Amino acid sequence: MAAAAAAIRPMRLAALTRSRCSILQTAYNPTSARTGAKYLRARLHGPSMVKFYTPEANIAQIMRQWPELEMRNFAEEERLQDVEDKKKRGKGAPKKAKEKGDSRRASRRR
Amino acid sequence: MPNARVLRDIKARNVVKASEVLRRAYLYVARNETLSPQVRHQAQLQLNTFGKYTRPTTVKNRCAESGRGRGIISEFALCRYQFRLKALKLELPGVRKASW
Repeated sequence: MAAAAAAIRPMRLAALTRSRCSILQTAYNPTSARTGAKYLRARLHGPSMVKFYTPEANIAQIMRQWPELEMRNFAEEERLQDVEDKKKRGKGAPKKAKEKGDSRRASRRR
Repeated sequence: MPNARVLRDIKARNVVKASEVLRRAYLYVARNETLSPQVRHQAQLQLNTFGKYTRPTTVKNRCAESGRGRGIISEFALCRYQFRLKALKLELPGVRKASW
């Protein structure tokens, strides 16, 4: 019986592997050819990557979504107040140049 | 306003997530040795047209506070110094000084 086991033809072994794969529904790849299946088999990493940073609370967004909460954005109010103060002192933003030659940079070159 | 590098990293992560399935599909075709070389080459050329932020290698864990790229503790998304500062102020839940 031991002598007969060594004489099994490779064709029969291949047929055995093929039928086993069809029964267990695995891929049949006797030559170990690279099919690129590993790129399809691996799980997607995108969703876990995006979860790394916790999203910051955006007060402006919350105010837009739920106006009934009547929240106040103190940082924004302070910024607007600073802009008003600067205007009063005469330090506000300069006027937008209508043509290309009007801007400060163009007049500085001469 | 988070660090500029952190913003870039967030952008990269979003783009990677959006393009991951398409990228995998092209990779499968390009790396499949049972297909003809012309088809594989076409797939590889298509892969080359993808932008840099579609590649998962552009994604790097960064500190959410300081933007540091090294010494990051992933569980808190903080670099080791920021982790220490916050832990000592008891701002990290369940973290306390070890002694045993």
